[in-house]
Amino acid sequence: MSIIFYNTHVPLFRKKKKKEEGVLFTVPMVISLAVLAAIILCCLFATAVSPYSPTGQDLKSSLALPSAAHLLGCDKVGRDLLTRLFYGGRTTLLAALGVVGLSVVLGVPLGLFAGYYGKKVDAVIGRVCDVLLAFPSLLLAFVFVAAFGRGLSNAIIALGIVYVPMLTRLVRSLTMVEKNKTYVQAATSIGYSDFRIMFRHILPNCISNITVQITLDLAYAILDLASLSFLGLGVQPPTADWGAMLDEGRNYLLQNPLLALSPGLAIVVVVVSLNIFSDGLHQYFEPIQRALPSFEKVEKREKKRMEKHEYAA
Amino acid sequence: MFEPKGGWFILLKYIVKRFLQMLLILLVTSIIIFALVRLSPSDPIASMTKGKAISAQTRQELMGQYHLDKSLPEQYLIWITGALHGDLGQSFIHKDTVNALIAQRLPTTLQLVLMSAVLAILISIPIGVISAVKMNTALDRTLSILTLIFVASPVFLTGIILMFFFALKIPAFPSFGTGDGFVQNLRYLFLPSLALGLNMVALIARITRSNMIEQLNANYAATAIAKGVPYSRVVMGHCFKNALIPVITVASIQFGTMIVGAVLVENVFALGGIGAVLLDGVKSADYPVVQGITLMLVAFFLLINLLVDIIYAVIDPRIRPE
Repeated sequence: MSIIFYNTHVPLFRKKKKKEEGVLFTVPMVISLAVLAAIILCCLFATAVSPYSPTGQDLKSSLALPSAAHLLGCDKVGRDLLTRLFYGGRTTLLAALGVVGLSVVLGVPLGLFAGYYGKKVDAVIGRVCDVLLAFPSLLLAFVFVAAFGRGLSNAIIALGIVYVPMLTRLVRSLTMVEKNKTYVQAATSIGYSDFRIMFRHILPNCISNITVQITLDLAYAILDLASLSFLGLGVQPPTADWGAMLDEGRNYLLQNPLLALSPGLAIVVVVVSLNIFSDGLHQYFEPIQRALPSFEKVEKREKKRMEKHEYAA
Repeated sequence: MFEPKGGWFILLKYIVKRFLQMLLILLVTSIIIFALVRLSPSDPIASMTKGKAISAQTRQELMGQYHLDKSLPEQYLIWITGALHGDLGQSFIHKDTVNALIAQRLPTTLQLVLMSAVLAILISIPIGVISAVKMNTALDRTLSILTLIFVASPVFLTGIILMFFFALKIPAFPSFGTGDGFVQNLRYLFLPSLALGLNMVALIARITRSNMIEQLNANYAATAIAKGVPYSRVVMGHCFKNALIPVITVASIQFGTMIVGAVLVENVFALGGIGAVLLDGVKSADYPVVQGITLMLVAFFLLINLLVDIIYAVIDPRIRPE
């Protein structure tokens, strides 16, 4: 699943006539942001939003169907599903942030070094990336988990490393373009150190592209973490993330399908929103992707101005 | 006769060079796989005996039998020489050799992956072509969102949903397991391969769409339309053929990554393919199985990528280095 969100340069949402040229907050962006914000807030303030405990068992309401007391029903041992969704979301989202954070901390400097120094440094880093990319991404995570044992922190480390080469390649190619620009020459001639040029001058100029990639990586990370947990290689009970909840819930499909479907739906909603968000960012950062300003509007404005001038004269 | 630009010799040189590169990468990955698997904190002897208490002597014998008493470089050499001779060693847990396990389980997984590739292509290419022709209409946007949802839904979720509706609610397909032989498996593997295939639809459809749009805007398409060629023929006969090459590339690279998706789907539908063996191996520190299967899958993945590159080089001379 390493190239699911392949950038085809044909954005998903492009209006024929765009009203807000170059505006970050287009309609799909606002919707996806609102959805993401709502989910994040619910997960963050799970203790305040929900009256139940995520691990408190109540065997009387085992496998209860949705009701006023339990909006989505209960699982096998009577834990409120909605509450567990919030707490599970906390685990999933934090873990995904961890994966992406790790890959950024490792991948961005490596990419900068490879792109800036070139030659031998580039060759070495390039070969390391080649080797890592030789594994289908989840397979490498399997081997890591086999090596370091099951558990959430190992899954995060494994996936964090798996995501490094893609980010490194992106940063490398961006750096190679930036380093030939005049401002880098100027900085070099002033006598700034390589480190300062890389991190204070080149990096800020690449940050928009990196941000787009990071939001996409977050979506990947959520999917891959869910896969690992689903297979029992990620979080261990009693903690549960959405993947582990899906795994638990699939045994009770006939009793209460929501047990499996609602964590699944949560994953889909978050991943779709992240995708749309990233698409929007990409369009915003790359002016080529934006719709041109509508000519009629400019014409009208000019006409108005001319008329005003006439009146004034 | 067809003659690649620069002649066959240059092409051959390129292929040999890429092949050697691939072997080198494979060698390095084998070292990494071996080293990682041996870092494992769990005790292989304990998983062999399923946790039963054994005497120190039996333990010693078992260690000797599986060469676990030797140093790590020696163990690696034993394993890699075996692998080069086509022998991946003896499983710790199963009574079979890794080779026998693979031979037993691979057909199911291969059929699953092949079927889902076919389904993915059958679904995604029409979607891509239609959304290119109807670019920026409501239909195009609906299809885009639909495929986005498919790609955002992890394969195991798609599998569970399909199972819920088409095996449990409407018992049209079996909900788990495999049948005997290829033909019976067509039915057993339909839902699993649909789940796996739908995951790939978004990417292939999106590539088809963007390539078709590019081709439809090309001058030759305008010429053909101006000459009075029916639009459907311009789309299918002219543009589609030109748009197909990158689509095939992406689809075949996806084929490699599908193998991992197959592990997940096999788990949902209890298919007992290669993924189930690998997963058991990961969970129970069955070193030879994890090493052997991972190495095989990586080799498979690299080989597909190499084939795609070669086909590309034959078709498109710009890829080849001078």
